[in-house]
This record gives sequence, C-alpha cells and structure tokens, in this order.
Amino acid sequence: MFHRNPFAPISRREMISRMGAGFGTIGLAGVLADSGLLGAEKSGSPAGSAPLLPKAPHFAPKAKRVIQLFMPGGPSQVDTFDHKPALAKHAGQRPKIVDRKTLRNTRNGLMVSPFGFKQYGQSGKWVSDIFPQVAQEVDELCFVHSMHTDIPEHAGAILMFNLGHLQPSRPSLGSWLTYGLGSENQNLPGFVAMSPRAQPRGKLANWGNAFLPGAYAGTYVNIASMKPDQIMKDLKNSRMSLNEQRQQADLLTRLNRIHLERQQQNQQLEAGIQAMEMAFRMQFAVPDAFDLTRETKKTLDLYGSSEYAKGCLLARRLIERGVRCVQLSHSIDGYDIAWDTGHGDIEGGHAKLAKACDQGIAALIKDLRNRGLLDETLVVWGGEFGRAPTSEGKKGRDHDHYGFTVWMCGGGVKPGFSYGATDEFGCSAVENRVHVHDLHATILHCMGLDHEKLTYRYSGRDYRLTDVSGNVIQDILA
Amino acid sequence: MIVIGKVCRLSLVSLAVSVILPFVVPVFATDEDAGIDFFEKKIRPVLVEHCYECHSGDAKSLKGGLLLEYREQLLKGGDSGPAIIDRKPADSLLMESLRWEGLEMPPSGKLPQRVIQDFQKWIQMGAPWPSSRKTPLIDSSKTYNWKDLQQAHWAFRPVRKPEPPQVAAEDWVRNGIDRFVLARLDAAGLAPAPSATGIDLVRRIYFDLVGLPPGPEQVARFSEIYSNDPDRAVRELVDQLLESSQYGERWGRHWLDVARYSDGFGGFNDNAAMNDAWRYRDWVVSSLNRDLPFEDFILLQIAGDLVTEKKSPVATGFLALGPTYRSDGGDPDSVSQAKSETLDDRIDTLSRGLMGITASCSRCHDHKFDPIPQLDYYSLAGVFNNTAVHQVPLASQEEVDRYNDHQKKIQEANKQLQQLNNGIKKEKRSPNEKEKSQQTQLQQQLDQLRKNAPQKYDTAHALRDSGSGNMKVAIRGNLRKTGEEAPRRFLRILAGEHPPLFTGGSGRLELARAIVDSANPLTYRVFVNRIWQHHIGRAIVRTPSNFGKLGESPTHPQLLDWLASQLLESGSIKQLHRLILNSSTYRMSTRYNGESFLKDGDNRLLWRMNPRRLDVEAWRDALLAVSGELDPTMGGPPSEDINMKRRTLYFKVSRGGDRFRSDELLRMFDFPLMRATVAQRPVSIVPQQYLFMLNSQFMGDRARALAGRLKAGADSDGTRIEQAYQLLFARKPLADEKELGLKFVGQKSTGKVDHWEKYCQVLLSSNEFLYLQ
Repeated sequence: MFHRNPFAPISRREMISRMGAGFGTIGLAGVLADSGLLGAEKSGSPAGSAPLLPKAPHFAPKAKRVIQLFMPGGPSQVDTFDHKPALAKHAGQRPKIVDRKTLRNTRNGLMVSPFGFKQYGQSGKWVSDIFPQVAQEVDELCFVHSMHTDIPEHAGAILMFNLGHLQPSRPSLGSWLTYGLGSENQNLPGFVAMSPRAQPRGKLANWGNAFLPGAYAGTYVNIASMKPDQIMKDLKNSRMSLNEQRQQADLLTRLNRIHLERQQQNQQLEAGIQAMEMAFRMQFAVPDAFDLTRETKKTLDLYGSSEYAKGCLLARRLIERGVRCVQLSHSIDGYDIAWDTGHGDIEGGHAKLAKACDQGIAALIKDLRNRGLLDETLVVWGGEFGRAPTSEGKKGRDHDHYGFTVWMCGGGVKPGFSYGATDEFGCSAVENRVHVHDLHATILHCMGLDHEKLTYRYSGRDYRLTDVSGNVIQDILA
Repeated sequence: MIVIGKVCRLSLVSLAVSVILPFVVPVFATDEDAGIDFFEKKIRPVLVEHCYECHSGDAKSLKGGLLLEYREQLLKGGDSGPAIIDRKPADSLLMESLRWEGLEMPPSGKLPQRVIQDFQKWIQMGAPWPSSRKTPLIDSSKTYNWKDLQQAHWAFRPVRKPEPPQVAAEDWVRNGIDRFVLARLDAAGLAPAPSATGIDLVRRIYFDLVGLPPGPEQVARFSEIYSNDPDRAVRELVDQLLESSQYGERWGRHWLDVARYSDGFGGFNDNAAMNDAWRYRDWVVSSLNRDLPFEDFILLQIAGDLVTEKKSPVATGFLALGPTYRSDGGDPDSVSQAKSETLDDRIDTLSRGLMGITASCSRCHDHKFDPIPQLDYYSLAGVFNNTAVHQVPLASQEEVDRYNDHQKKIQEANKQLQQLNNGIKKEKRSPNEKEKSQQTQLQQQLDQLRKNAPQKYDTAHALRDSGSGNMKVAIRGNLRKTGEEAPRRFLRILAGEHPPLFTGGSGRLELARAIVDSANPLTYRVFVNRIWQHHIGRAIVRTPSNFGKLGESPTHPQLLDWLASQLLESGSIKQLHRLILNSSTYRMSTRYNGESFLKDGDNRLLWRMNPRRLDVEAWRDALLAVSGELDPTMGGPPSEDINMKRRTLYFKVSRGGDRFRSDELLRMFDFPLMRATVAQRPVSIVPQQYLFMLNSQFMGDRARALAGRLKAGADSDGTRIEQAYQLLFARKPLADEKELGLKFVGQKSTGKVDHWEKYCQVLLSSNEFLYLQ
C-alpha cells in the first residue's frame, strides 16, 4: 500500500569528519542534533533533525523498552507485597518507629492487614490475597521493599516518581529514555502514556518533555474512550480519501526534491521530506497499533475485560512494535490518585483496585514471556509512596513515604528476588534503602544508559533525570 | 509540601582536583616543610580514604556542606560551622567528630586512637597544608582579587571600540562589520559567498524585520531598484520596514523569549492567570517601534515604577510576569522554598537575560566557574526580597477611587438585602408586606447601582518596592539557615571590590542603573549578540545567555565589541539593525561551498549566510498572509484559538506550555517553554508537524482561502500557478514545477475537495515555504 521511500539518505560524512571523534556522549550529540547541526553517526541519515531515530546506548543494554505500571495514590505495602506478620501481635500499639511527628495519622496504632497472605512459587514469596494472579508470577518478579521518597504528598511525590523532581519542570522518565535512545519504530510515537479515564495527578507533566525537544513528549491515550484513529491530533484527514492524500504527498515530495536539489546540502530539508513520509505512514500505523480487534479471542480472554487490562494489552502491542516506553497508570471511578481510597478503607478500596488490574498485569507478564519479549522488556510496578502500617480512622491507612515497595520484572533484573526491607512493621525502609533517584538510575542502567551521562543542557547547566543523586542498585541486576 | 533546594551541576567540565601530590623533598629546610611532611604522611591519606567520599568536590553527594580539600575549607567549615579552629584542637569540631562526641565521623567506624592523636597534633601545629596545588578556575580559598578577575576573562573586560581592520578586498566592504568578517575569512583562506539574489534578499529582509513575506508588488518594486542600485534598494527597504509597526511585533517576540513571557498558568504552586500580561507585551512592541533608547528600554523593565521621568510600571512586567510560587501546605520549609524559587526566577532572568551571566548558580554555593560568590547572589536577591508584584491601576487616582467607592456601595446594598432575606429565612416564614416592599426597594437600588457602576479601570502586573532590608546568605540555598548579611549592591565582578551600597528603597533603581551603565561590559555585548543572532542565524557568542567561563568564546570578539560600542554611542536599536542589514556580510547568499564546508562546516567564520527555518510565528503568519487572510490588528488580550487570523504573537501562552490549544500548536513547532529566559530556539523536525500540515483544519482552511484567491486572480491554470509561486516564494515556477502543478490541478475530480485546494495545501506545506535562504 505504501511506497518505500526511494531516496537514500544523504551522506553525512563531511560533517562527521569535521567533528572528528570528539562527540561521544549522547547528551552532547543530542544538543547538536536538536539544532539540526549534526546527525546520528550510526545511521548516516539526517537524524539530527529526526530525533527519534534509534541511538546507541552507553553500553550494552539488558532491556530495550520499559513498561511502567504506575499506581498513583500510594498502594499500601503491608497489604500487598510486604508481608508483616508482626502487625498481628502488636496491633493497636505505637512502637517508636511509627510514633513520629513526620508520619501522618499514627494515633490509632498498628493495624493488621485485612487480607490474608499466602506463599507462592519457588521463591516462596508471601503475597496478599488481593493479587492472586500476579502472585502466580512471583518467580519472575524482583521486589524492592526498601523504597523511600521525599515527601508524603501526592502531587509532588508523583512528579518525583515520574520526573525525579518535585516540581513539574523536568522531563519525564519516558522522555529521557526516548531522548537517550530514540525509538525503534518511526511510525509510532516513541513514548506513550495511558490510563483509563483519569490522568494521574499532575497530568501531562508525568509524560511531558519539559525542556527537551518536542519529539520526546509522551503521547497520551485515554484507554476508556480511545478511538484508534484519533489517538493523535490530526491523525486522520476527514476530507480526503487515501488515494487523494497519497497524490498530495507524492507531489509534495517531488516539489521538495526539486527544492533540495537547488539548495544542496541541507539536511534539514532532507529531514523534512522524511518526516512528511513518516507522518503519512503514521496515519495507518498508529490506528493499527491501537486496534485490539486484531487480537485473538484467546489473548483477549487471557487479559480479561477490565480497562486496565486493555491498557496492558495495548502496552504489549506497542512495545512489540518498538515503542520505547509505555507508562500505564491505574485508575478506577475516574479518580486521579486511585490508591488513595486507602485513607478510609483499605479492605474495600485496595481489593477493588487490585481486582481491576491483577489479571491484566499477570496476563501481560505471561504474554510477554510467551512471545519472547519479557527478556528485553523491563516492567516496573509501583506508586509514588506507600501507606503507614497504622490505621487512619478505623479501617484506613495514611501516606508513608519512608517505606514502600515496587517490583520490576523482565530485562535486566533478577527474577524471584527480593531486595531491601522495611522494619518489622513495614513502616520505614531500613535495610538497603532505595530512593526514587536510585530506582531511576537502575532503570536507565538496564536500558544501557549511564544516568550521570544522560544529560541535557538547558538554562545554563546540564540536567539529568537523577539530578545530582542516584546510585544503580547493583544487587538486583541480573 | 517541602521542596528540595535546586541543585546545580555543571558537568561538562570536571572540577576534579588531584588530591594526592607527589612528595619529593626528603630533607626539610624549615619547620613548615616538616609540618607539610606530617600532613602528607599522616593526615592527607586519612582524609582521602575516610572523608572525601562525602566531603570533596568529587563526592556523589556532599554532606553537611563541608569540603575538606583545602585548608581554608576546614577553617571555613560547613553547615555546622568551622571544622577546625586554628591551633585549638580542643575547640575544633573536627576533633569532636573524630572522637564520636556529638557528630560521629567517619560514620563507618571510629578511627584508631593513634590517628585521632595525629589530627590533634596536626591542628596544634597550625594545620600545615602545602600551598602548591591545582587551582580551579575560581580559587577555592574564597579570596577574590577583583581587579585581576575583571581582566582574566574576556567578557568582564571593558568594551573597547576596535578600529575595523584593513582588508585586501576593499570593494566588498560596505561598513565596519564587513572588515571584521572579511579579515577573519582572509586569515583562514576562505572567501565570502557571492551576494544573494534580489529575491532571496527581499524575502530575507522582510522576514527578518517584520516576520512576514513580501507581497508580489513589493518584490517587483525592490527588484527593479535592486537591479540598478542594490545599496539604495536595501537601504530604503530597511528604513521602510523599520518604520512599519510590524517591526515591533517581530522583534518584540524575540525579546519576549528573553523575558520568558507568558500569560501565567505555570501549573502546580504557580498556577495563577496573568490576565494583564499582554500589556507588557504591547509595551515591548511599542517601545521597539518608537525606538526607545536602549538604556531606557532596559532600565524601565527593571525599575519603570521607580523613575520619575518616563514612569512605566507596565515595563516591569519583564520581572513581574515570572512565577510567584506559593507554598503548598504553609509549613515554614515550604514557604521559604517558594520564596527562594521566586527570587531565583528574578535573578536568573535578570542575570542571564540582560548580562549573560549565570548568577543563579550561586544560589547554594559560590559559583564554580565565574567570579560570583554566593554573597553576591544574596546582594541581588535582597533587592527582589524587597520587591513585590501587584496589579497596578492604569488610571488616575480619582478613577480608581470612584470605582472602588461605587463597588463599596454595591456591597453595602447587597449586604442589607441579604440580611433582610436571611432574617426572614431564619424564621421560616414568608416576608410580610413591609418587608416585601423593602426587598423590592433594595433590589431596585442594587440593580441601579450595578447598572451605573463605572467600568473597572485597567490594570497591569508590575513591581513595587516593599521594603529595604538586606538578606543573609542562605546556607546551601536554604533561606531558613542563614549566614552572613549580604549588603544590597551590584555584583563585584562588574562593580569592583566595594560597590556602592543600594540605599533607595529596594535598591532596584540603582541596580537597573548599574546594569545599563556604559561601563558595564556585559549588557551591551549581550544585547548586540542577540540582535546579531536573529539576523545572521547564529550568534557571535553562541551561548547568548552565558558569557561566563563555560560559555563559548566569541567567533568575532572585535566585531562584538565594535557593535556594542555602536549601540553605546547611538542608543538606537534600529540603528543597529541598519548597520547589520546594510553590510555585505548580511547580503551573502546561503550557497553551499564544499571546500569552505570542509574547513568550517559550522560556518563560524561566516563564509555564507546561514539558511534558516522560519520560527512558528513567522511561518503561521506567512500562511495567513499569502492566503490573504491576515488580520493586522495590533495589541490587546491574547487568544487561545489557533484558527484566529491575527498574528501568532497574540496567541495565549501558558508558563507550563500545556494549558491551551495555542500552546500545543506552538510547542509542536519548537516554541520554547516559558519557564526560564530563552536564548535560542531549537529546530526539530517531527512527523507530527506534517500531520498538522496534511490534516489539520487550520491548513485546510488556508489552502481553501489561497485557492480562492488564485481563482479570483486569474482564469488559466498556468497563470494561477505562476501567481501562487509569486505569492509564496516571490519567484516564477521552474518548468518542471509548473508542469507538475498543471498535471495535478488538471486531473479528473474524484473527491469532495477541489484540486486547487489540495494543490495549495501542498505548496503551503512545502519546505521552500518553511525555510529562508
């Protein structure tokens, strides 16, 4: 149906030889490329102006893409994956570790989890009864129980989790990944953010590019109301047939070629010609990628019918096509910090939220494994902070940024492994503490990027995802 | 909520300093040498092994603000005070820490008693330390020799007016600029590109000065004069365009980038609307149009509310439109954090935008590369700490009073009515007859008052002075942890060791005067460099907002100074445009030359004109201009409707870049984030831009309008195509272009959309329309 672009990319040798071997770092090359000064050495094409072409990582990566299963609102660690039997013995007590001014709502003392826990898999990992299907996959999962973050307030902590900064003024994780690595599919956005109905608090800052060039912004899709051909603005032309559009595109390319010949040596013009062809192809590639009717009934059944599961399946379709990063945020009932229903009622709130995502997440892991994609895909599950082991009101729990759990699986991390620990009540990370910056450094590491070298110069200085912090968690690397 | 202090990392140049110096003198001539030997053998190895992981420039994260790499750093200490007191081990915090009394250092385990005794002895000896060492750019001993430093870096030296050099090819020279450019080309064995064609030139000058394409008549007139007298043609066109009001709209936008201008809406903690922002925008446009002297242009933007003559509070929108952060939660940490972020916006915009120095880097520590101590940051911050943002009425006091008094009456009447109604409601009954008539009467009174209310007077966002106290240095940027007092005064690298103290109110007017002072080596250089960048495509200093050590050196230092001195002498920005546009340098074609490219691929020496992509404003405005739809109405409130027909300058812009449909379109075409002052825009080419061109309603509408215009203008397809090329590209179509066009529009019609519309959309989406030669 489509013409392959018949024009070979122009040679960039002159420019490259003039620059010598002096630009090794992605960061520097990025800055030049954004001004259209320099192309990517690797492909020999005018990537300088085609910012999403694949770029070489700093070192051999374990994972090629990231699926972030984001759980805004703060899932409670002691009711999900951080089993604390001591809570039962000490219920109602206020041991020193929870009796802190900076921890909210601890007056009622410790509260035992309303959920049962069982052991699963060869690793014998204890998992709460609200995640029965994810529990079946524990031998794939790598738990980090010793997460901590800076503040116990949603908006800031969510930004910290997704941007590495408490203000919405920095690029998101996915933007940094596409900036550092480009994308493997030029006909789709390199970074897609999704959620059912509500966008996580902070909205598009969570997938924004901030000061990075526009090509690295995440494209947001509301799973609940999406129509595959309206995923992106102006994706479809409502007034012309495909044939008419092809004629237009052909004429445009020919006229641009004539213009380019007259101007000689202008890679921006060449890049413009390619970008136009790419835009033409996107009109079909994008709806195709988001079209779930192309899946078999067996696959659809595996994932189940929840909205979040639909997102999980879309995530697989996207990374299968080479999209670099998918951020899939949980939400039910249109709530932007879904897991925060834990304030009033852990039992009801958490059970409902887990039920809405458990099957989809488990299916995603299975599906990736069955298709041989799990080894090169890094899946990251977690929220911006956790919840205190004490009770708020009678049945709820308040925010806890001193300790919470995330898990990862797939490319780059040890399967069936648990790292770090909270105290005996699950309140604070005490052993092998991991800050969000460390988690980011580790994710970048799995993707073949050195978090200290992935920089972008803006406003007079170099910025990083991890700012001036972050240590790769060596012990969890596969 | 709590916000963590902004941290600064300049990672391109490593600050690593070798800490282990070879010890090669075995015999000691003096006690001093013996002391140094003791240090090298007993002390330094311990520091390196046990302390530098957290207390050196290489530390992953510096702990306690304490560096232990130089003697002075120990004496100065960190957040908890000096680490050592000279020759007094008993009073030295370092000893206390090593003994694990209070602080416990190193945290990994107490050092052996023997080592602790060595430290005691060493402090008693006067803490000898070798003086020879590798010095970073700024001496970390914190002693600044201002006289030397002012000479040490090109940008801090005074602006001189260099004599334009003699060159061999005198006939190429049109003015001083050409001498500087040609001299460098000659020296490198490069030749300037030939002059651009008249057509390229007329388009270039139009887009450069007014951001719009020339119409066919203007092209014809220019070409006619150009063929006989090119100098006259250029001179007259430049003069004519500088007098047009579109000039201010074009160059105003360049300045608004520097001013990180937005209509508010920064999101989280800074989400207020700035509904009057446009008044500042209009002030900039009109100031440029009337060629307000440069000195006033800058001074009024800093202190327009404080001057007696030419009073212009609106001009202070330059700073007032920046974010004013609120705290979330109101706890003292959040409040001070919000304040310090707000102050930093002012200092960053002021220092980088006007003077090309990164003073913001000194918020938490002395600048690592430029001579800007943290003390100086808080000298400037003190000015803004005594400055508030408010809504200034743009009306006489009587008008304001009349409005306010009337509003008070409305409120009173309303209150009476409410009281009456509430009383009745409380008693759960219907009003009696008397009350009914009272109600009616009050309601009528209220209606009458509302009807007769005078219109709300106009307002603008402006600065005003709110105090006159000094700030104290905020240790590691934390305003709640303060050090020495920072007298309000100008930066010492520019004003010398003892700058006069600011005494009038906040000191803002004195600060403004110091910035525009003719002896300030930065302000004029920075400004002419920005003007140059927009005309030539690349700046002389390619980091236009950083003239410091980490910035780039000028490609043509003498030219930069010559231009700066021209601006100093004339004070006229328009004169500067004239100078540049009438040079041979500006008139070069963009023609590619393989040989020159090999020698100077980056065109640093200017062997040709830089080809440029139009920015989003010029491109969108040009679309409306060629389709005959551009609405030239100037000024007033902005719009978020991307289909509006006014110039793109009048789009609504949110500070977060994510609020309006207009933001979305702008950002897709590389409009920068207006959170911080912008020096240059990136050029990225992405498919989404082409989806917009191929599919959007906006482009479809322009194509239809253009098709209509062509059809109305001529009957034959051939003539229409020719007219299209004249309108869009100021030239005739080539034979094959025309043939392609004829074939396309001559097809049998199939769809709903007319072939001419489709053809016009193709031309409007073409590279030639987007690029400037």
